[in-house]
Amino acid sequence: MRNVLLIIRREYLVRVRTKAFMFFTVLMPLLVGAVVVLPSQFMLRASSTRHIVIAAADRELADSVKNQLTVLRASGEDDPMQNDGGKKNQQDFEVSVETPLSEALRQQLIGEVRNGNLDGFAWIEPDAVATRKGIYYSRGTSDFMEASLVSRALRLALSGRQLADHGFSLSQAKTLLGPVHVDTVHIDRHGANKSNGLGAFFLPFVLLLAIYMTVLIYGLYVMRSVLEEKTSRVVEVLLSSVSPMQLMAGKIIGVGAVGLTQIGIWTAAGSVLGSGSFAVAHEIIGDSMKDAHLSTPVLCLFPVFFILGYATYACLYAAIGAMVNSDEEAQQFQFPVTLPLILCMVFATAIIRDPNTPFAFWLSMFPLTSPIIMFVRVSVSMPPVWQIVASMAISLVSLYGLVWISSRIYRIGILMYGKRPTLPEILRWIRYA
Amino acid sequence: MAYTLELDRVTKAYDDFVAVDNLSFKIPEGEIFGLLGPNGAGKTSSIRMMIGITIPDSGGVSLFGQPLTRRLLDRVGYLPEERGLYKKMKIIENLVFLGQLKGLSVAESRRRSHQWLERLELGRWANSKVEELSKGMQQKAQFIAAVLHEPDFMILDEPFSGLDPASSVVLKDALLDLKKQGKTILFSTHRMDTVERLCDSICLVNQGRSVLLGSLREIKASYGRSSVQLEYEGELPLLNDPMLVANSNDFGNYVELRLAPGADAQRLLERAMRTAEIRRFEMVEPSLEEIFIDTVESTKVVTSNA
Repeated sequence: MRNVLLIIRREYLVRVRTKAFMFFTVLMPLLVGAVVVLPSQFMLRASSTRHIVIAAADRELADSVKNQLTVLRASGEDDPMQNDGGKKNQQDFEVSVETPLSEALRQQLIGEVRNGNLDGFAWIEPDAVATRKGIYYSRGTSDFMEASLVSRALRLALSGRQLADHGFSLSQAKTLLGPVHVDTVHIDRHGANKSNGLGAFFLPFVLLLAIYMTVLIYGLYVMRSVLEEKTSRVVEVLLSSVSPMQLMAGKIIGVGAVGLTQIGIWTAAGSVLGSGSFAVAHEIIGDSMKDAHLSTPVLCLFPVFFILGYATYACLYAAIGAMVNSDEEAQQFQFPVTLPLILCMVFATAIIRDPNTPFAFWLSMFPLTSPIIMFVRVSVSMPPVWQIVASMAISLVSLYGLVWISSRIYRIGILMYGKRPTLPEILRWIRYA
Repeated sequence: MAYTLELDRVTKAYDDFVAVDNLSFKIPEGEIFGLLGPNGAGKTSSIRMMIGITIPDSGGVSLFGQPLTRRLLDRVGYLPEERGLYKKMKIIENLVFLGQLKGLSVAESRRRSHQWLERLELGRWANSKVEELSKGMQQKAQFIAAVLHEPDFMILDEPFSGLDPASSVVLKDALLDLKKQGKTILFSTHRMDTVERLCDSICLVNQGRSVLLGSLREIKASYGRSSVQLEYEGELPLLNDPMLVANSNDFGNYVELRLAPGADAQRLLERAMRTAEIRRFEMVEPSLEEIFIDTVESTKVVTSNA
């Protein structure tokens, strides 16, 4: 037991002290933070006044577009799916109107956009009411938010015009054109929660990525560590002091502890940084992020499923590391083992959208995918407790079998140099007492 | 007499290949024992069974008079043939870790590591990573790892490989010191000159079997003074005459040869003087290298006839 602890300690310290670990541990939260926070900061700060010209054949239409633009700017209320140019956008528009249309005017406006006096102009042909078409000229095509704002203003103006032509009053037209709200209510066994699609998708996906990455990365660390001891022949020295079983166990636990440490740091950083960045994200994207918070059971189950998933794959990767003689050989063996993990990612989107299909159920019971898929299901909506327990039990039983098989392959493979073993040879190793 | 190690009809096969075949020998306490043999003879396979890395298919291994158990291995030190240290870790960290695995406390392991590093002139490299050291320095560090816990029995697989002459002397002195303290040492090597000077007894293995076993003095005596050392300039066609020469090891201007049974040394000298200028002619006990080559070749003949 003392030996196992010594091996755990060495694996842990060696890895935690590497620059790669510190880099990855610190960088990951910063990166996530940056991705969430920075763009929003830029959006908030880019608040210089934009000069836009609405050029239309008839003055009334141009004014109407201008009005709509001002209204949209003020309320941000048009369409909840496109409220990205919404109320929090502090950009000011200075909108002027030009009539009538002429090629000279167009050239003049283009010139002004080019030399920066103007940020953009909308070109509305006389037949726009029929064709429902306009052109928005601007320097950067990436000004999609501005373009979509103009597009919406034009749509409202044109629709308003058509409704007026059919005898609707202005207020009637306004009601007709007003936005429609659909609230989604998410029902689980604890009752109904008001929820919103984006947040409910976003969070499980981030969690899935986190568990997938950690299981894969730390599994591969185990493989590389085994291979390193094999190629540097340290293993011969170690095996004169410890049994192969102790060595493998120490290694898997030690590397796993590094993984848990990293997850711990990320969780801590997430709860500090996260509240801040979620708040900003909430401001930017609006209400859709309001459900993006971690419930306690999900938070507690993360390490549990990480351990199950990690241990499963670490055993397999340890066996591979012992079988092969070089990184190149390892890569060939690695793929079939990594395949179930990749499948988890492939099916993840479907499972997050609909976590209770029979397909999702069986994937969360299949030994190699159960820890990851069950965790995804948990993070979307709590499945019945018996399913969670069954999934864990299946994982544990299959883990027991995997430890048995892997340790046998490990014990023999670690001392075999030279040619790569064939499948019948490996089967013989497993049978060999 | 107390035996530190006893192999009793040990056999080990990997699939169809028999690596060790019915091998038996004993090492008395306090002896330096040489395990010799050509590459692939089964030396490393035998050693692995002595330290519990692999288990014999049949036969028994005893350490210190008891059947091999993992607990007994704390009294054994092992220097593998190929360097086995963590390349990315510092020398001192490697040593402290390996010492701890053998049951030392951190403090004790560290203290002894520094002591040994000073003694082997590695003191200023203690905090260097293994990969930054030369092969010879790594070899010395590896040796320290094997002796750190003051084992009663040391198994050293090619301990002198990669060492410059000065370091070899330092290491040899360390070994003789350990012998004086009553430790038992097993060497595995094919460097015959070292064995000849250090070992009390040897076991020569070939194709997994013991082909020569016993005290070095007795073995050499049994061959008698049937060997000739010749320094010469010119040609020696007589080396190919099977009536005169049983086998020879020719270095161009120096040759060691063993007389064919019944051949006369004076006649050999006479013949040699006809084709070459002879600088030195001496009849000696055969060197271990000669015995080695002779024995390995004769067993090869036997097995190919069989």
